[in-house]
Amino acid sequence: MRCGDFRQSYAEDMSLFESPLPRVLLAGLLVFLLVLPGFASTYWLDVLSRIFIAIIAATGLNVVTGYTGLISLGTAAFLAVGGFATAAMAGKAGLPFVVVIPLSGLLTALVGLVFGIPSLRLKGLYLAVATLAAHYIVEFIVTHWDAMTGGVNGISVPPAHFAGLALSDDRSMYYLILPVMVGLLFFTKNLFRTKVGKAFVAIRDQDISAEVMGVDVFRYKLLSFAVSSFIIGVAGSLLAYQARLISPENFPITLAIDYLGMVIIGGLGSILGSIFGAIFITLLPEMLRLATDALGSYWPSLMVIVAPIKTGVFGLVVVLFLIFEPDGMAARWNHIKAYWKLYPFSY
Amino acid sequence: MNVQKSLAGILAAALAALVPSWASAQQEIKVGGIFDLTGVTSDVGKPFAQGVQDCVAVTNDAGGIGGKKIKLLGADYGYKIDQARALYKKFVNDDKVVMIQGWGTGDTEALKDFVGQDKIPYFSGSFAAPLSDPSKFPYNFFVAPTYSEQLRSWLDWVKQDYGKGGGKGKAKVAFMFGDNAYGKAPLAAGRKYAAEIGVDVVDEAVLPPNFQDATSQLLTMKQKGVEYAYINVTTTGVSLVLRDAKKLGLTVKFGSNPYGFSESLVAVTGVVPHVPFGTPVPGMKMLEAAHQKYHPTDKHDAMYVRGWASCLVWTEGLRGADKAGQMNGPGVKAAVEKLADFSTGGLSQSVTYTPADHRPTMTTSIYQIQNGKLVKIGDYIMPRTKEWFGL
Repeated sequence: MRCGDFRQSYAEDMSLFESPLPRVLLAGLLVFLLVLPGFASTYWLDVLSRIFIAIIAATGLNVVTGYTGLISLGTAAFLAVGGFATAAMAGKAGLPFVVVIPLSGLLTALVGLVFGIPSLRLKGLYLAVATLAAHYIVEFIVTHWDAMTGGVNGISVPPAHFAGLALSDDRSMYYLILPVMVGLLFFTKNLFRTKVGKAFVAIRDQDISAEVMGVDVFRYKLLSFAVSSFIIGVAGSLLAYQARLISPENFPITLAIDYLGMVIIGGLGSILGSIFGAIFITLLPEMLRLATDALGSYWPSLMVIVAPIKTGVFGLVVVLFLIFEPDGMAARWNHIKAYWKLYPFSY
Repeated sequence: MNVQKSLAGILAAALAALVPSWASAQQEIKVGGIFDLTGVTSDVGKPFAQGVQDCVAVTNDAGGIGGKKIKLLGADYGYKIDQARALYKKFVNDDKVVMIQGWGTGDTEALKDFVGQDKIPYFSGSFAAPLSDPSKFPYNFFVAPTYSEQLRSWLDWVKQDYGKGGGKGKAKVAFMFGDNAYGKAPLAAGRKYAAEIGVDVVDEAVLPPNFQDATSQLLTMKQKGVEYAYINVTTTGVSLVLRDAKKLGLTVKFGSNPYGFSESLVAVTGVVPHVPFGTPVPGMKMLEAAHQKYHPTDKHDAMYVRGWASCLVWTEGLRGADKAGQMNGPGVKAAVEKLADFSTGGLSQSVTYTPADHRPTMTTSIYQIQNGKLVKIGDYIMPRTKEWFGL
């Protein structure tokens, strides 16, 4: 690692990687993820797939909430739109997943565009309530449009097919989800090196000065909602393929709050933050359950008492994070990196 | 020193706890348990889980299944569907369980296709009628009359009660239900049966999730002159409806399904497929002994008995599978499907399963809460007809 700033041109300033080392590490991580299914159990593959889907959706939410500064409680609704669109296109129309996944994203982007309109006039908590309304409207539609969504009983989704092969087990789903996640993360990372992404950040930092600088605030706010909903819609589509049966009960309002928790704990306005937050929030209940299971299997009668502690621990961890690292796990990661960059010769 | 000593003590205790589990690992029958201990239905899910656990403990203390102990891998899923799916995958792929004791509509509906593919018998706390049709869901089981039979029986009671009270014409009935799969499950069957026996369904009111007030729904019912109402939500919701009905001075006679009422409510006439704890039936002795042994200070209700009844049926299935030397999913299914008029010692109606029909019983007991006690009104027996199969 290099202990200094050696950037000499704008191109270098804009580069994704400061030095070759992170590039090598990232490539190593990708290779590791690619060979992982060779020795991981199906349970852990399922957990990893859920983490990847959560990373995609959290990144989508981070675009609108973290980068553009518009609080959204509509994540669960957008996931539902993507999921039920997939169920309709794959199940009823029988389209292949290569078409279904991007189309589900586009349809969700359209819905997001509509529900983004109030953001012209509303900010902060008021916008949060407007997106909450979006959640309930979508929930009502998917619950009552029986012909399309199967109503309260839900609808089953046929497995994705690739070259005549049904992607129905956890291993093949993993290989479907992983490249989509990598592609979308790369897209989002690059988005914020472009004019559009910089306009989003300008709106977040101070919308009036952004407008003075010539940013068309309304247009870019809507665009932010559309991009965010597209990414979340793709996550919803993958979720439907993975779950194989979705019903309105898959998308409660608490899911939207979980996602908000992910981007806040991980770090607002940071891709790395979305990744950390998604991993943390998805793994925490699994870890706590493994711990309580271990306790519970030695003293079975304790299970009924120990399980609720899980909920309390979850809340406690979130509160502790907000107190001791309000900028999120991504900020803490950068602190650690900076410390080791100068080690052992700190200033 | 003290710290070291106590650490050593903890280590020793942990080791002591580990050793027997290694020793007995060979002679175990693994059963998965998907329970709700922290989610929206935890009020009824917790005693159910406790009943299942106690039943397994008692079975193991009495020698287990043909000398093998049952290892119940119970876990909480907080009524979150993705958690239920994750647990299911862990149970089936990693732990290799022979069957699963599940819980509510949420997990049962989400997993019903998978259990058929993986051939894992799934006992649910959900009594939805479609699950009783083995041509569609061959590995789903439950221990109670279906939600539809329950509502039909309640409508029979309405007709009887209305006649006794000297009512003229048709009784006016309303259905109140939550906007979800559990709430809507018996409605189609109820509408059809009401028309057949001559009871008028004049109103259908939706109760939103986590509602705090039912005044507007009740006022509509008052306008329409409703005399009987079936509330198809869980206990907390039913108590809110009763509170608002009292506030408005309604004289409607309320009824509810087995997850909707307990001794803590007043004047509800509802379905009780599993007897209240302490009812003097032969099967209750075992429960009372377990209660004394494991947690003498706890209070128990019909939900606890429900967990026991479900567990008693599948432990009998495990016994059959063990005798046949087929300790696997299809083996347990076949053994359960041989149960004919199997008695749970009076904890529930005797149950019968066949490979073509998973309706456990056609008899529904109707109870009424009188002075804080559940009093039995009568048993309503429905014909085992083809038309009602799976509806």
